[in-house]
Amino acid sequence: MEADRRFLLLCTGEVLIVALGNLAAALILQIFILALYLDDRRGYPVFIAAMVLYAAVIAASGRILLPLLALAVAFVCGYLALSLYDYRLSLWARGEA
Amino acid sequence: MIRPTRTTEAVAALGLALAAIAFIVESPAAALAAGSFGVFILWRAGRFDRNFRALATSLTAKREVSRTIIRQGAAVTVRTRVDCTLPPGMEVRVRDVPPAVATGEAPLCGPGETGVYTIRIMAPGRTAFGGVILSASDPYYSHGLHIRHLNAPGLRVFPVGSAMATSGATDSGMRDLEVDRMAALHGPSVREFRPYRVGDDPGRIDWKMSAKHNVFYVRELTGLRGGTPLVVVDLPTWEETDSEVFARYSMVVTDAVEEAIESRAGCSLLVIAGGEILRFLPRTEDAGEAFTALSGLAPIEPRVPLYRAPGPAVLAARAKLPRGGGGLEKSFLARLGVVLKAFARESRSPFAGAVKEALAWVEATEVHIYTLARGDRSHLAQFIHQAKTKGMRVVVFAPAGTTIPRGVDAVEVI
Repeated sequence: MEADRRFLLLCTGEVLIVALGNLAAALILQIFILALYLDDRRGYPVFIAAMVLYAAVIAASGRILLPLLALAVAFVCGYLALSLYDYRLSLWARGEA
Repeated sequence: MIRPTRTTEAVAALGLALAAIAFIVESPAAALAAGSFGVFILWRAGRFDRNFRALATSLTAKREVSRTIIRQGAAVTVRTRVDCTLPPGMEVRVRDVPPAVATGEAPLCGPGETGVYTIRIMAPGRTAFGGVILSASDPYYSHGLHIRHLNAPGLRVFPVGSAMATSGATDSGMRDLEVDRMAALHGPSVREFRPYRVGDDPGRIDWKMSAKHNVFYVRELTGLRGGTPLVVVDLPTWEETDSEVFARYSMVVTDAVEEAIESRAGCSLLVIAGGEILRFLPRTEDAGEAFTALSGLAPIEPRVPLYRAPGPAVLAARAKLPRGGGGLEKSFLARLGVVLKAFARESRSPFAGAVKEALAWVEATEVHIYTLARGDRSHLAQFIHQAKTKGMRVVVFAPAGTTIPRGVDAVEVI
Protein backbone atom coordinates (compact mmCIF):
# COMPACT_ATOMS: atom_id res chain seq x y z
CA MET A 1 0.00 0.00 0.00
CA GLU A 2 2.90 2.33 0.79
CA ALA A 3 4.31 1.76 -2.73
CA ASP A 4 0.91 2.46 -4.30
CA ARG A 5 0.54 5.71 -2.32
CA ARG A 6 3.98 6.87 -3.40
CA PHE A 7 3.27 6.02 -7.01
CA LEU A 8 0.08 8.09 -6.88
CA LEU A 9 2.11 11.02 -5.53
CA LEU A 10 4.57 10.51 -8.40
CA CYS A 11 1.72 10.65 -10.93
CA THR A 12 0.43 13.84 -9.31
CA GLY A 13 3.89 15.38 -9.61
CA GLU A 14 4.00 14.46 -13.30
CA VAL A 15 0.65 16.18 -13.90
CA LEU A 16 2.15 19.30 -12.29
CA ILE A 17 5.23 19.11 -14.54
CA VAL A 18 3.11 18.83 -17.71
CA ALA A 19 0.92 21.70 -16.49
CA LEU A 20 4.00 23.90 -15.88
CA GLY A 21 5.18 23.49 -19.48
CA ASN A 22 8.58 25.07 -18.77
CA LEU A 23 11.58 22.82 -19.48
CA ALA A 24 13.93 24.20 -16.79
CA ALA A 25 11.20 24.14 -14.13
CA ALA A 26 10.21 20.66 -15.24
CA LEU A 27 13.82 19.47 -14.89
CA ILE A 28 14.19 20.81 -11.35
CA LEU A 29 10.79 19.54 -10.27
CA GLN A 30 11.39 16.08 -11.76
CA ILE A 31 14.70 15.77 -9.90
CA PHE A 32 12.96 16.57 -6.62
CA ILE A 33 9.97 14.34 -7.26
CA LEU A 34 12.10 11.31 -8.13
CA ALA A 35 14.39 11.97 -5.16
CA LEU A 36 11.32 11.84 -2.91
CA TYR A 37 10.15 8.66 -4.67
CA LEU A 38 13.42 6.81 -4.08
CA ASP A 39 14.42 5.11 -0.83
CA ASP A 40 18.02 4.54 -1.78
CA ARG A 41 19.58 7.63 -3.36
CA ARG A 42 23.11 6.30 -3.82
CA GLY A 43 24.29 7.16 -7.33
CA TYR A 44 21.55 9.75 -7.76
CA PRO A 45 24.00 12.45 -9.05
CA VAL A 46 24.71 10.16 -12.02
CA PHE A 47 21.00 10.09 -12.78
CA ILE A 48 20.79 13.88 -12.42
CA ALA A 49 23.68 14.32 -14.87
CA ALA A 50 21.95 12.05 -17.42
CA MET A 51 18.71 14.00 -17.01
CA VAL A 52 20.46 17.37 -17.49
CA LEU A 53 22.08 15.98 -20.64
CA TYR A 54 18.72 14.80 -21.93
CA ALA A 55 17.12 18.19 -21.17
CA ALA A 56 19.97 19.88 -23.06
CA VAL A 57 19.29 17.65 -26.08
CA ILE A 58 15.58 18.60 -25.99
CA ALA A 59 16.40 22.29 -25.66
CA ALA A 60 19.00 22.19 -28.46
CA SER A 61 16.87 20.20 -30.89
CA GLY A 62 13.65 22.13 -30.27
CA ARG A 63 11.71 18.98 -31.19
CA ILE A 64 9.96 16.23 -29.29
CA LEU A 65 10.51 13.22 -31.53
CA LEU A 66 14.29 13.38 -31.93
CA PRO A 67 15.22 13.20 -28.21
CA LEU A 68 12.71 10.43 -27.62
CA LEU A 69 14.18 8.45 -30.53
CA ALA A 70 17.68 9.03 -29.13
CA LEU A 71 16.46 7.75 -25.79
CA ALA A 72 14.97 4.67 -27.45
CA VAL A 73 18.34 3.97 -29.11
CA ALA A 74 20.06 4.40 -25.74
CA PHE A 75 17.51 2.00 -24.28
CA VAL A 76 18.29 -0.66 -26.88
CA CYS A 77 22.03 -0.20 -26.34
CA GLY A 78 21.54 -0.48 -22.57
CA TYR A 79 19.52 -3.63 -23.01
CA LEU A 80 22.22 -5.16 -25.23
CA ALA A 81 24.92 -4.23 -22.72
CA LEU A 82 22.94 -5.80 -19.88
CA SER A 83 22.36 -8.93 -21.98
CA LEU A 84 26.08 -9.19 -22.64
CA TYR A 85 26.87 -8.83 -18.94
CA ASP A 86 24.23 -11.42 -18.14
CA TYR A 87 25.69 -13.84 -20.68
CA ARG A 88 29.17 -13.44 -19.20
CA LEU A 89 27.76 -13.98 -15.71
CA SER A 90 25.99 -17.14 -16.91
CA LEU A 91 29.26 -18.44 -18.35
CA TRP A 92 30.97 -17.75 -15.05
CA ALA A 93 28.16 -19.50 -13.14
CA ARG A 94 28.58 -22.58 -15.34
CA GLY A 95 32.33 -22.51 -14.65
CA GLU A 96 33.20 -21.88 -18.30
CA ALA A 97 34.59 -18.37 -17.98
CA MET B 1 18.17 -11.70 -17.65
CA ILE B 2 17.00 -9.38 -14.91
CA ARG B 3 13.23 -9.07 -14.50
CA PRO B 4 11.42 -5.80 -13.76
CA THR B 5 9.18 -5.70 -10.71
CA ARG B 6 5.65 -4.32 -10.62
CA THR B 7 7.03 -0.92 -9.56
CA THR B 8 9.30 -0.71 -12.62
CA GLU B 9 6.46 -1.77 -14.90
CA ALA B 10 4.28 1.00 -13.45
CA VAL B 11 7.05 3.58 -13.95
CA ALA B 12 7.51 2.42 -17.56
CA ALA B 13 3.76 2.71 -18.17
CA LEU B 14 3.78 6.23 -16.74
CA GLY B 15 6.72 7.12 -19.01
CA LEU B 16 4.89 5.81 -22.09
CA ALA B 17 1.78 7.77 -21.14
CA LEU B 18 3.86 10.93 -20.78
CA ALA B 19 5.52 10.29 -24.18
CA ALA B 20 2.08 10.03 -25.78
CA ILE B 21 1.03 13.29 -24.12
CA ALA B 22 4.26 14.93 -25.33
CA PHE B 23 3.40 13.97 -28.91
CA ILE B 24 -0.18 15.10 -28.69
CA VAL B 25 0.33 18.48 -27.00
CA GLU B 26 3.92 18.94 -28.20
CA SER B 27 5.11 19.69 -24.69
CA PRO B 28 8.91 19.64 -24.05
CA ALA B 29 8.20 19.30 -20.31
CA ALA B 30 6.20 16.11 -20.92
CA ALA B 31 8.96 14.83 -23.21
CA LEU B 32 11.51 15.51 -20.47
CA ALA B 33 9.36 13.71 -17.90
CA ALA B 34 8.89 10.73 -20.25
CA GLY B 35 12.62 10.61 -21.02
CA SER B 36 13.54 10.91 -17.36
CA PHE B 37 11.61 7.74 -16.61
CA GLY B 38 13.49 5.96 -19.40
CA VAL B 39 16.79 7.16 -17.92
CA PHE B 40 15.57 6.15 -14.47
CA ILE B 41 14.76 2.59 -15.59
CA LEU B 42 18.14 2.23 -17.32
CA TRP B 43 20.00 3.67 -14.34
CA ARG B 44 18.30 1.31 -11.85
CA ALA B 45 18.90 -1.66 -14.16
CA GLY B 46 22.60 -0.82 -14.39
CA ARG B 47 22.86 -0.49 -10.62
CA PHE B 48 21.02 -3.72 -10.00
CA ASP B 49 23.18 -5.58 -12.51
CA ARG B 50 26.39 -4.26 -10.95
CA ASN B 51 25.22 -5.17 -7.43
CA PHE B 52 24.10 -8.61 -8.55
CA ARG B 53 27.44 -9.38 -10.18
CA ALA B 54 29.27 -8.26 -7.02
CA LEU B 55 26.95 -10.45 -4.97
CA ALA B 56 27.39 -13.51 -7.19
CA THR B 57 31.16 -13.28 -7.30
CA SER B 58 31.38 -12.92 -3.51
CA LEU B 59 29.23 -16.01 -2.94
CA THR B 60 30.82 -18.98 -1.15
CA ALA B 61 29.02 -22.23 -0.34
CA LYS B 62 30.12 -24.69 2.33
CA ARG B 63 28.34 -27.99 1.91
CA GLU B 64 28.71 -30.92 4.33
CA VAL B 65 27.22 -34.34 3.71
CA SER B 66 26.89 -37.12 6.24
CA ARG B 67 28.57 -39.59 3.84
CA THR B 68 30.31 -39.27 0.50
CA ILE B 69 30.36 -42.98 -0.32
CA ILE B 70 26.87 -44.40 -0.16
CA ARG B 71 24.56 -47.06 -1.44
CA GLN B 72 21.90 -46.43 -4.03
CA GLY B 73 18.72 -45.31 -2.31
CA ALA B 74 20.38 -44.49 1.02
CA ALA B 75 19.52 -41.22 2.73
CA VAL B 76 22.18 -38.54 3.03
CA THR B 77 21.88 -35.50 5.25
CA VAL B 78 23.17 -32.31 3.65
CA ARG B 79 24.06 -29.10 5.46
CA THR B 80 24.72 -26.10 3.26
CA ARG B 81 25.79 -22.68 4.39
CA VAL B 82 26.14 -19.83 1.93
CA ASP B 83 27.96 -16.60 2.69
CA CYS B 84 28.22 -13.48 0.56
CA THR B 85 28.73 -9.74 0.69
CA LEU B 86 25.22 -8.35 0.78
CA PRO B 87 24.74 -5.13 -1.25
CA PRO B 88 22.55 -2.57 0.54
CA GLY B 89 18.87 -2.59 -0.39
CA MET B 90 18.95 -6.12 -1.80
CA GLU B 91 17.07 -9.15 -0.58
CA VAL B 92 18.92 -12.38 -1.19
CA ARG B 93 17.75 -16.01 -0.94
CA VAL B 94 19.72 -19.10 -1.85
CA ARG B 95 18.54 -22.63 -2.61
CA ASP B 96 20.86 -25.60 -2.79
CA VAL B 97 20.44 -27.85 -5.83
CA PRO B 98 20.67 -31.58 -5.06
CA PRO B 99 22.24 -33.97 -7.58
CA ALA B 100 20.08 -34.62 -10.64
CA VAL B 101 19.69 -38.27 -9.66
CA ALA B 102 18.56 -37.47 -6.10
CA THR B 103 15.13 -37.14 -4.57
CA GLY B 104 14.55 -34.45 -1.97
CA GLU B 105 14.32 -30.71 -1.95
CA ALA B 106 16.51 -28.12 -0.32
CA PRO B 107 15.02 -25.29 1.74
CA LEU B 108 15.33 -21.64 0.77
CA CYS B 109 17.90 -19.92 3.01
CA GLY B 110 19.33 -16.49 3.51
CA PRO B 111 23.03 -15.66 3.55
CA GLY B 112 24.74 -16.94 6.71
CA GLU B 113 22.00 -19.47 7.43
CA THR B 114 22.52 -23.21 7.27
CA GLY B 115 20.02 -25.23 5.25
CA VAL B 116 19.64 -28.83 6.41
CA TYR B 117 17.85 -31.39 4.26
CA THR B 118 17.89 -35.05 3.35
CA ILE B 119 18.25 -36.56 -0.10
CA ARG B 120 18.27 -40.07 -1.52
CA ILE B 121 20.54 -40.86 -4.45
CA MET B 122 18.61 -43.10 -6.80
CA ALA B 123 21.23 -43.90 -9.45
CA PRO B 124 24.65 -45.51 -9.01
CA GLY B 125 27.93 -43.97 -10.11
CA ARG B 126 29.69 -40.72 -9.43
CA THR B 127 27.48 -37.70 -9.00
CA ALA B 128 27.76 -34.16 -7.76
CA PHE B 129 25.47 -31.44 -6.48
CA GLY B 130 23.87 -29.13 -9.00
CA GLY B 131 25.26 -25.97 -7.37
CA VAL B 132 23.11 -23.26 -5.82
CA ILE B 133 20.38 -20.98 -7.14
CA LEU B 134 20.93 -17.39 -6.11
CA SER B 135 17.83 -15.18 -6.11
CA ALA B 136 18.13 -11.45 -5.44
CA SER B 137 15.73 -8.56 -5.68
CA ASP B 138 15.47 -4.86 -4.96
CA PRO B 139 12.34 -2.66 -5.31
CA TYR B 140 12.84 -2.38 -9.10
CA TYR B 141 14.36 -5.62 -10.41
CA SER B 142 14.86 -9.27 -9.50
CA HIS B 143 17.15 -11.93 -10.86
CA GLY B 144 17.90 -15.62 -10.37
CA LEU B 145 21.17 -17.28 -11.25
CA HIS B 146 22.03 -20.97 -11.18
CA ILE B 147 25.67 -21.14 -10.07
CA ARG B 148 26.68 -24.63 -11.10
CA HIS B 149 30.36 -24.59 -10.18
CA LEU B 150 29.61 -24.54 -6.42
CA ASN B 151 28.98 -28.29 -6.56
CA ALA B 152 31.45 -29.85 -4.10
CA PRO B 153 31.63 -32.47 -2.66
CA GLY B 154 31.28 -35.29 -5.16
CA LEU B 155 29.34 -38.39 -4.18
CA ARG B 156 30.08 -41.98 -5.06
CA VAL B 157 27.04 -44.24 -5.14
CA PHE B 158 27.23 -48.01 -5.18
CA PRO B 159 24.39 -49.92 -6.79
CA VAL B 160 22.02 -52.13 -4.83
CA GLY B 161 23.05 -55.73 -5.46
CA SER B 162 20.39 -57.57 -7.43
CA ALA B 163 22.22 -60.87 -6.89
CA MET B 164 21.32 -60.75 -3.21
CA ALA B 165 17.80 -61.89 -3.88
CA THR B 166 19.04 -65.21 -5.21
CA SER B 167 22.07 -65.68 -2.97
CA GLY B 168 20.09 -66.54 0.12
CA ALA B 169 22.18 -64.18 2.22
CA THR B 170 19.41 -62.52 4.10
CA ASP B 171 21.04 -61.63 7.35
CA SER B 172 24.32 -60.06 6.40
CA GLY B 173 25.63 -57.54 3.97
CA MET B 174 22.22 -56.30 2.89
CA ARG B 175 22.74 -54.28 -0.32
CA ASP B 176 26.50 -54.67 -0.05
CA LEU B 177 27.17 -57.27 -2.67
CA GLU B 178 28.47 -54.79 -5.20
CA VAL B 179 31.14 -53.55 -2.85
CA ASP B 180 32.01 -56.81 -1.16
CA ARG B 181 31.35 -59.90 -3.18
CA MET B 182 32.51 -62.07 -0.28
CA ALA B 183 29.49 -61.00 1.72
CA ALA B 184 27.60 -64.11 0.68
CA LEU B 185 30.12 -66.09 2.73
CA HIS B 186 29.95 -66.22 6.50
CA GLY B 187 31.59 -63.38 8.38
CA PRO B 188 31.41 -59.64 8.53
CA SER B 189 30.74 -57.69 5.36
CA VAL B 190 31.38 -54.09 4.47
CA ARG B 191 28.47 -51.91 5.38
CA GLU B 192 29.96 -48.66 4.10
CA PHE B 193 33.17 -46.71 3.70
CA ARG B 194 33.96 -43.49 5.49
CA PRO B 195 36.98 -41.17 5.71
CA TYR B 196 39.65 -42.22 8.20
CA ARG B 197 39.54 -40.54 11.60
CA VAL B 198 42.37 -40.36 14.14
CA GLY B 199 42.04 -43.34 16.44
CA ASP B 200 40.59 -45.72 13.85
CA ASP B 201 42.11 -49.17 13.62
CA PRO B 202 44.65 -49.05 10.73
CA GLY B 203 43.65 -52.62 9.93
CA ARG B 204 40.25 -51.33 8.74
CA ILE B 205 41.73 -49.03 6.11
CA ASP B 206 40.61 -50.07 2.65
CA TRP B 207 43.82 -49.62 0.68
CA LYS B 208 42.28 -50.06 -2.74
CA MET B 209 39.65 -47.41 -2.12
CA SER B 210 42.20 -45.11 -0.41
CA ALA B 211 44.64 -45.38 -3.34
CA LYS B 212 41.88 -44.67 -5.80
CA HIS B 213 40.75 -41.46 -4.06
CA ASN B 214 44.09 -40.45 -2.52
CA VAL B 215 42.35 -40.20 0.88
CA PHE B 216 42.28 -42.83 3.61
CA TYR B 217 38.96 -44.66 3.78
CA VAL B 218 38.06 -47.22 6.44
CA ARG B 219 35.59 -50.06 6.15
CA GLU B 220 32.56 -50.09 8.42
CA LEU B 221 31.57 -53.69 9.06
CA THR B 222 28.08 -54.96 9.59
CA GLY B 223 29.21 -57.24 12.39
CA LEU B 224 29.37 -61.00 12.68
CA ARG B 225 25.71 -61.58 13.42
CA GLY B 226 22.91 -59.69 11.87
CA GLY B 227 24.64 -56.35 11.68
CA THR B 228 21.49 -54.61 12.88
CA PRO B 229 22.25 -51.82 15.34
CA LEU B 230 20.41 -51.09 18.54
CA VAL B 231 19.00 -47.57 18.42
CA VAL B 232 18.55 -46.15 21.90
CA VAL B 233 16.37 -43.08 22.36
CA ASP B 234 16.97 -41.21 25.60
CA LEU B 235 13.93 -39.06 26.37
CA PRO B 236 14.70 -35.73 28.04
CA THR B 237 12.64 -34.27 30.86
CA TRP B 238 10.32 -31.36 30.15
CA GLU B 239 12.44 -29.18 32.42
CA GLU B 240 15.47 -29.64 30.18
CA THR B 241 13.95 -29.09 26.76
CA ASP B 242 11.35 -27.09 24.87
CA SER B 243 8.90 -28.23 22.23
CA GLU B 244 10.94 -26.96 19.28
CA VAL B 245 14.11 -28.74 20.36
CA PHE B 246 12.18 -31.92 21.09
CA ALA B 247 10.45 -31.79 17.68
CA ARG B 248 13.83 -31.58 15.97
CA TYR B 249 15.18 -34.35 18.18
CA SER B 250 12.20 -36.58 17.28
CA MET B 251 12.81 -35.92 13.59
CA VAL B 252 16.49 -36.89 13.90
CA VAL B 253 15.56 -40.10 15.74
CA THR B 254 12.88 -41.03 13.19
CA ASP B 255 15.30 -40.44 10.32
CA ALA B 256 17.95 -42.54 12.05
CA VAL B 257 15.56 -45.45 12.60
CA GLU B 258 14.33 -45.27 9.02
CA GLU B 259 17.89 -45.22 7.71
CA ALA B 260 18.92 -48.11 9.96
CA ILE B 261 16.00 -50.22 8.80
CA GLU B 262 16.45 -49.44 5.12
CA SER B 263 20.21 -49.67 4.91
CA ARG B 264 20.96 -52.48 7.35
CA ALA B 265 18.10 -54.90 7.07
CA GLY B 266 16.46 -53.74 10.28
CA CYS B 267 17.33 -52.51 13.73
CA SER B 268 16.34 -52.83 17.36
CA LEU B 269 14.78 -49.97 19.23
CA LEU B 270 14.96 -49.11 22.92
CA VAL B 271 13.37 -46.03 24.45
CA ILE B 272 14.66 -45.04 27.89
CA ALA B 273 13.78 -42.22 30.24
CA GLY B 274 16.10 -41.78 33.16
CA GLY B 275 16.42 -45.14 34.87
CA GLU B 276 13.40 -46.69 33.14
CA ILE B 277 12.92 -48.61 29.93
CA LEU B 278 9.72 -47.31 28.30
CA ARG B 279 9.61 -49.23 25.01
CA PHE B 280 11.60 -52.08 23.55
CA LEU B 281 11.34 -53.40 20.01
CA PRO B 282 13.91 -56.10 19.25
CA ARG B 283 15.09 -56.85 15.70
CA THR B 284 12.44 -55.32 13.49
CA GLU B 285 12.56 -54.88 9.73
CA ASP B 286 9.19 -53.16 9.59
CA ALA B 287 9.53 -49.37 9.48
CA GLY B 288 5.85 -48.96 10.33
CA GLU B 289 6.25 -50.99 13.50
CA ALA B 290 9.27 -48.91 14.51
CA PHE B 291 7.45 -45.65 13.83
CA THR B 292 4.51 -46.88 15.91
CA ALA B 293 6.90 -47.55 18.78
CA LEU B 294 8.27 -44.02 18.40
CA SER B 295 4.87 -42.36 18.12
CA GLY B 296 3.52 -40.30 20.96
CA LEU B 297 6.87 -39.79 22.63
CA ALA B 298 7.17 -36.58 24.59
CA PRO B 299 9.43 -35.07 27.24
CA ILE B 300 8.87 -36.84 30.53
CA GLU B 301 8.46 -35.90 34.16
CA PRO B 302 11.82 -35.76 35.94
CA ARG B 303 12.89 -39.21 37.14
CA VAL B 304 14.90 -40.16 40.19
CA PRO B 305 18.52 -39.93 39.10
CA LEU B 306 20.50 -43.12 39.25
CA TYR B 307 23.43 -41.67 41.09
CA ARG B 308 21.64 -42.74 44.29
CA ALA B 309 21.49 -46.32 42.97
CA PRO B 310 24.60 -46.21 40.90
CA GLY B 311 25.29 -49.82 40.18
CA PRO B 312 28.71 -51.23 39.53
CA ALA B 313 29.50 -49.02 36.51
CA VAL B 314 29.12 -45.67 38.19
CA LEU B 315 30.76 -46.76 41.42
CA ALA B 316 33.73 -48.12 39.51
CA ALA B 317 33.99 -44.84 37.61
CA ARG B 318 33.84 -42.84 40.83
CA ALA B 319 36.49 -45.00 42.38
CA LYS B 320 38.80 -44.14 39.47
CA LEU B 321 38.37 -40.36 39.79
CA PRO B 322 41.72 -38.50 39.88
CA ARG B 323 42.91 -37.85 43.40
CA GLY B 324 43.91 -34.25 44.12
CA GLY B 325 45.09 -32.37 47.18
CA GLY B 326 47.53 -33.72 49.69
CA GLY B 327 47.92 -34.90 53.24
CA LEU B 328 44.67 -35.72 55.01
CA GLU B 329 42.53 -35.09 51.92
CA LYS B 330 44.60 -37.43 49.79
CA SER B 331 44.40 -40.26 52.32
CA PHE B 332 40.64 -39.66 52.70
CA LEU B 333 40.09 -39.86 48.93
CA ALA B 334 42.22 -42.99 48.69
CA ARG B 335 40.13 -44.62 51.42
CA LEU B 336 36.92 -43.51 49.65
CA GLY B 337 38.16 -45.14 46.47
CA VAL B 338 38.72 -48.42 48.29
CA VAL B 339 35.21 -48.27 49.80
CA LEU B 340 33.61 -47.47 46.45
CA LYS B 341 35.46 -50.34 44.81
CA ALA B 342 34.15 -52.71 47.48
CA PHE B 343 30.59 -51.47 46.96
CA ALA B 344 30.98 -51.63 43.17
CA ARG B 345 31.36 -55.39 43.40
CA GLU B 346 28.27 -55.76 45.56
CA SER B 347 26.05 -53.04 44.10
CA ARG B 348 23.06 -54.03 42.02
CA SER B 349 21.05 -51.73 39.76
CA PRO B 350 17.65 -52.84 38.42
CA PHE B 351 18.11 -50.55 35.39
CA ALA B 352 21.52 -52.02 34.58
CA GLY B 353 20.02 -55.50 34.89
CA ALA B 354 17.19 -54.68 32.51
CA VAL B 355 19.61 -53.16 30.01
CA LYS B 356 21.79 -56.25 30.22
CA GLU B 357 18.80 -58.43 29.37
CA ALA B 358 17.79 -56.21 26.48
CA LEU B 359 21.31 -56.20 25.03
CA ALA B 360 21.46 -59.98 25.23
CA TRP B 361 18.11 -60.17 23.42
CA VAL B 362 18.96 -57.93 20.46
CA GLU B 363 22.33 -59.51 19.62
CA ALA B 364 23.55 -56.23 18.13
CA THR B 365 27.19 -55.35 17.69
CA GLU B 366 26.66 -51.64 17.65
CA VAL B 367 24.63 -49.28 19.84
CA HIS B 368 23.52 -45.86 18.64
CA ILE B 369 22.43 -43.70 21.57
CA TYR B 370 20.41 -40.60 20.69
CA THR B 371 20.32 -38.15 23.55
CA LEU B 372 20.10 -34.45 24.26
CA ALA B 373 22.53 -35.15 27.14
CA ARG B 374 21.02 -32.55 29.45
CA GLY B 375 20.68 -32.82 33.19
CA ASP B 376 21.32 -36.14 34.87
CA ARG B 377 23.28 -38.61 32.73
CA SER B 378 23.89 -41.35 35.29
CA HIS B 379 21.59 -43.77 33.41
CA LEU B 380 23.63 -43.23 30.22
CA ALA B 381 26.82 -44.09 32.12
CA GLN B 382 25.25 -47.38 33.22
CA PHE B 383 23.99 -48.13 29.74
CA ILE B 384 27.35 -47.44 28.10
CA HIS B 385 29.09 -49.60 30.70
CA GLN B 386 26.73 -52.52 29.99
CA ALA B 387 27.22 -52.18 26.21
CA LYS B 388 30.98 -52.06 26.51
CA THR B 389 30.92 -55.09 28.79
CA LYS B 390 29.31 -56.98 25.91
CA GLY B 391 31.97 -55.71 23.49
CA MET B 392 29.60 -53.48 21.55
CA ARG B 393 30.64 -50.39 19.69
CA VAL B 394 28.89 -47.40 21.25
CA VAL B 395 28.16 -44.29 19.18
CA VAL B 396 26.45 -41.36 20.90
CA PHE B 397 24.48 -38.86 18.83
CA ALA B 398 24.10 -35.65 20.81
CA PRO B 399 23.99 -31.88 20.25
CA ALA B 400 27.31 -30.06 19.98
CA GLY B 401 28.89 -28.95 23.23
CA THR B 402 27.23 -31.50 25.49
CA THR B 403 29.13 -33.63 27.98
CA ILE B 404 29.02 -37.34 27.19
CA PRO B 405 29.85 -40.02 29.77
CA ARG B 406 33.19 -41.69 29.21
CA GLY B 407 33.63 -44.97 27.39
CA VAL B 408 31.93 -44.30 24.06
CA ASP B 409 33.67 -45.12 20.79
CA ALA B 410 32.44 -42.16 18.80
CA VAL B 411 30.32 -39.05 19.25
CA GLU B 412 28.30 -37.65 16.37
CA VAL B 413 26.71 -34.22 16.47
CA ILE B 414 22.97 -34.00 15.72
